[in-house]
Amino acid sequence: METNLVDGASTGFSSGLSVADFAACLAMDLEPVGLVQGFCAMQAGGFAMGLTQMGQPMGGQGGYVENYQCPHGMVGGEHRMWGQNYEQTWVEQSWSGGFTAALDRMRDEAARLGAHGVVGVVDTETPLAGAGVVEFHLRGTAVRVVGTTPTNTPWTTYLAGQRLVKLFESGFAPVSVVAVAASVRVYAYCVTEYLMGGGGVNIWSSSSSSVEINQIVRAQSLSRDLARSMARAQLHGDDLHAAQLDVVDREHERGDLEILSTLRGNRVRRFRAFESLATPRPTVRLT
Amino acid sequence: MSGENRHDDLRAKVREAVMSLDSPSTSSEATTSDLSLDEELNLHAIGWEAVELVSGYSAFSTPMGVWSWGQGEITAATEAHANAFSSAIRRLHHEAATAGGHGVVGVHIERSIFSTYTAVSLIGTAVRPIGAGRISDDHVFVSDLSARDFSRLVLAGWEPLGLATGASFVYAPRRTIGAALAQQSQNVELSNFTDAIYAARELAMERMQQSAIDLHGSGVVEVKVVEGPMAFAAHAVGFTAWGTVVRLAAGEHRLMRPSLVVSLDDPVVTFDAATLG
Repeated sequence: METNLVDGASTGFSSGLSVADFAACLAMDLEPVGLVQGFCAMQAGGFAMGLTQMGQPMGGQGGYVENYQCPHGMVGGEHRMWGQNYEQTWVEQSWSGGFTAALDRMRDEAARLGAHGVVGVVDTETPLAGAGVVEFHLRGTAVRVVGTTPTNTPWTTYLAGQRLVKLFESGFAPVSVVAVAASVRVYAYCVTEYLMGGGGVNIWSSSSSSVEINQIVRAQSLSRDLARSMARAQLHGDDLHAAQLDVVDREHERGDLEILSTLRGNRVRRFRAFESLATPRPTVRLT
Repeated sequence: MSGENRHDDLRAKVREAVMSLDSPSTSSEATTSDLSLDEELNLHAIGWEAVELVSGYSAFSTPMGVWSWGQGEITAATEAHANAFSSAIRRLHHEAATAGGHGVVGVHIERSIFSTYTAVSLIGTAVRPIGAGRISDDHVFVSDLSARDFSRLVLAGWEPLGLATGASFVYAPRRTIGAALAQQSQNVELSNFTDAIYAARELAMERMQQSAIDLHGSGVVEVKVVEGPMAFAAHAVGFTAWGTVVRLAAGEHRLMRPSLVVSLDDPVVTFDAATLG
């Protein structure tokens, strides 16, 4: 028997919505049908690849690779004769695989409940016991448009409540949550090592002026660019809204840096042109 | 529109939106932005639109040992900070111009100052007047004002020109052993630290103002100040200031007269057992 909140419920429902968000859903004719969740515990299969020794090119893994050659012509065990920036494609694939699996499972639950979409999505990534194992957890409230039957895979959005109302009001339809991760590893060559340690561009000089650390700048910039390109590849002409780009870098040891850029946002599709908006009026709220 | 009509209109829009997902997107130009919907609507209301999420990063080395002992300004550290900022801003200009933006708003600024290098990361959304063509890197503005504040600024007849920054790192000279012993267990101002902070402040504010003048601005709004001792150097203090350079674009300032509103949206009152005691 079908649940219908508006005409009187015949079965119960669960939801992660606040009371205000719940009320906003009802105003949109969206009735909650259940709190849906998706999990995936993922191990980065190529985790050990991160321990690759200097001098072993990672180009075979695909993705961005850039080599840096020592300009000093020195040979020695202590001297980093070359360095490399490379994209850790296996980390990205593991992250994306874990997130997508959890998202698909959440969507499947919503579809089984006969929902049109999932609102107020929250996602978390928690490291589990064991190196390189991460639990992806997505949850949200499955909703159904009153009086209609879904024909597609449920749409998903991080938005809920008044924010979702505004999305529809301004002519956008939610399509999907988007989350991607780009991972770049830096093995510093001698120049980068000296500069990061406060030295000059070679071992004999103690620089008195500041110099840009090109290898690090390239890696940091590329990790951000890669995240944005990955997100763009999922848009197929739609827009990415309220995006959040987070960058975390971890220095395993001196000159061995791992940069992870994650980008999340709402993929939305315009279904009507922007109506001309009134010029905003400044207001002072009496509270 | 009455409340009931408004609801019917919203429900119709929701149905239209859901139906639109049956067919693929017809747009060929996707945009990305970290702006909220309110901010996008604000921008649109003044004739601007979001184009692309952009970023700029730079890291400059600081020579080893400069923090440890000395007098006056630590010029190498100040230079590293200034270079990192200007280089990151330059990259943001380039990314925004490449994406077709005329400016970048809502720029998030993250600085990491270590003893041997300084890194600056900038992330924001490139924006342009609706449908406007490309402009060169040099003409792109960068602002840490939110899109909402940018809209207010434009409505008042002003324009942002760029980010002005100024920083200075200064040694607080060590006291002599005699002075340190004499001042032990006394309430006494450590004038070496006070003087160092004042010196750093003078230099940093002057540099920020100079960079505003270089951008042909008439002022700096939303100035942020970060000051204090350096975590890795007990006898060094830093002072950094940044803000958005603005200039009057219209003939004169347009006075904005705010209307008074009374919100009917009362805060939710939650039961607090502690009040029963």
